[in-house]
Amino acid sequence: MAVETQRVEDFRLTKEPYYLPLGNEVELFESAYHAGLPVMLKGPTGCGKTRFVEYMSFRLSRTLVTVACHEDLTASDLVGKYTLRGDETVWQDGPLTIAVKSGGIAYLDEIVEARKDTTVVIHPLTDDRRILPLEKKGEILQAPSEFQLVISYNPGYQSVLKDLKHSTKQRFVALEFDYPPPDREEEILRNESGVDDDTAAKLVKIAEKVRNLRTHGLEEGVSTRLLVYAGQLMANGIEPVAACEATICKPITDDLEMQRSIVEIIATQF
Amino acid sequence: MTFGPAVGNVGMYVAREMLAAVPDAQRQAYLRMVEEISELKYQLGVEVARQLPRLLAEQDQDLVARYLTQVRQIAGVGWKSGVEVAKQLPDLYEAPDPALAESYVQIIADATQGPPEDTETAQLASELDGLERALREMEPKVKRAQELKALLAARDRRDEKRRKHAVELASVLPPILARLRPRYRQIFLEQVRLVAAADPEASLEAADTLLDLLNGERVSAEGASEWVARGLAVLDRNKEVGRGYFRLGSKYALEVLDELKEGLALKDVARVLKLYATALSGRDVAIRGTHQMEGLDAFGADHVVLPPDMRFFDEDEKNFIAYKVATAHGAGRIEFGTYDFSLVDISGEVDALRARYGSAA
Repeated sequence: MAVETQRVEDFRLTKEPYYLPLGNEVELFESAYHAGLPVMLKGPTGCGKTRFVEYMSFRLSRTLVTVACHEDLTASDLVGKYTLRGDETVWQDGPLTIAVKSGGIAYLDEIVEARKDTTVVIHPLTDDRRILPLEKKGEILQAPSEFQLVISYNPGYQSVLKDLKHSTKQRFVALEFDYPPPDREEEILRNESGVDDDTAAKLVKIAEKVRNLRTHGLEEGVSTRLLVYAGQLMANGIEPVAACEATICKPITDDLEMQRSIVEIIATQF
Repeated sequence: MTFGPAVGNVGMYVAREMLAAVPDAQRQAYLRMVEEISELKYQLGVEVARQLPRLLAEQDQDLVARYLTQVRQIAGVGWKSGVEVAKQLPDLYEAPDPALAESYVQIIADATQGPPEDTETAQLASELDGLERALREMEPKVKRAQELKALLAARDRRDEKRRKHAVELASVLPPILARLRPRYRQIFLEQVRLVAAADPEASLEAADTLLDLLNGERVSAEGASEWVARGLAVLDRNKEVGRGYFRLGSKYALEVLDELKEGLALKDVARVLKLYATALSGRDVAIRGTHQMEGLDAFGADHVVLPPDMRFFDEDEKNFIAYKVATAHGAGRIEFGTYDFSLVDISGEVDALRARYGSAA
């Protein structure tokens, strides 16, 4: 469905997402929101950044417009552009403009993937001006106090070529995320996948061991999301070792020796 | 119109109008005569076929016979003169002096034949015949000589190459022996000697490979002998393929090695075990073979020491499990600090316990 045809209310979450706070991130976010400060979420893949934003948008009763950034994302894609419709040229708001106009939360996921000239577009929204210039339209939008800009990125696998400009980084309140402590991660698994205590404990134990390999050939450890997947497969009757191989082992590495060592780690638990 | 059986290929040079000019009763004879004269030379047949109808029309058999005889006479010494004579004779037969044709034929015959062969020409021809015969007889010998020359040149090049590789072997063997573990030196030298005798170039490859195989304990001494014996058979069939075998560059060489392998080599699973131990302990653990421990503390806190190969079981999978158990044991000791125990620390520990539990401790 095109963004233009959606109603702003379509971006409002109607059911509270499950999120288990691990520290003071909820208070920090709320405080930043009320102070009109943009927030940057840093952390490895699958540790709960997106879920946290969803949770906060529900908690703050704001609409949530999410943009998955990629290297072909242009400033026009974010802000809006003129398009041909029949015999006339009409302006179509981009997701960022929609969020600004509606006073919602704009969440730019993996912002570092977007082109650098694209990320500069958000600068006026992130300082005390809180404005969004629509250059092609010759307009300037003043963001309402309810508007919040949130970006996320994973510092773990950014290269020299793909990193946030300092002029961008230093405009945000940063909340750093990591994999939850074992007891919290077990609780998340139980809630998200429906596995029992013992299975959750075993999955977390495997994850803890595999994460020890992060500096030994693994770019990233096993995410909480993958553990949830494993639990969901097991809850659906898949044999534990097969479920773990499919979710914990194979997605995170193509190195056959690394895969074999992870299988051996799985075998210590199941 | 059809020709009789004697006609043969005569139709090629007897035109339809020529045959039509010959009386019916004489046509078969005409064709036979043309065929016979054309056996001497095709061009003669063409000219005679052209002139004969005119003579046959005169119904004078003797004249025809005389014509053919004279044409044959001249053609016998030179066919081109024969063709010209065959063309001119019928006109000369019509001359008032019948001797005119006879004289003409004699002059042309003499002119064509030339003077009788002199003695010197005959001697030269004879000498030439003899030389040509001798040359023909020499041909196989010349050919053989060339073959031998090429063969000897190739052998010379091969020997030169062999000597060059022998010098190279003389240079590389001592450092290889220095790197080889002493207990394998004897078997190593025996095997390299066998290969060097067959092909010094292959022995250079074999020396390098055997060093790795024996030092890495990938094959036993018996296995090394068998591996070399199989390689020599390959070398005997094809030098290049044999050299590839000894540098482990052929599929067959690897298959033989796999066949001769005894147990599971640590180097084949060392990285998996390292990752396994690192994951279990959360420390950067190194896996070392017992043969790599010179100058290192066997109970150092950063490594697990394992045998270079595991031969408890016939199946590699079970041997791997044995390695895994040993690795997990080592990783546990590293994780929980068991290797940190030191006799030097005992007195301090005892004092601490005594202080805590009293003199009865």
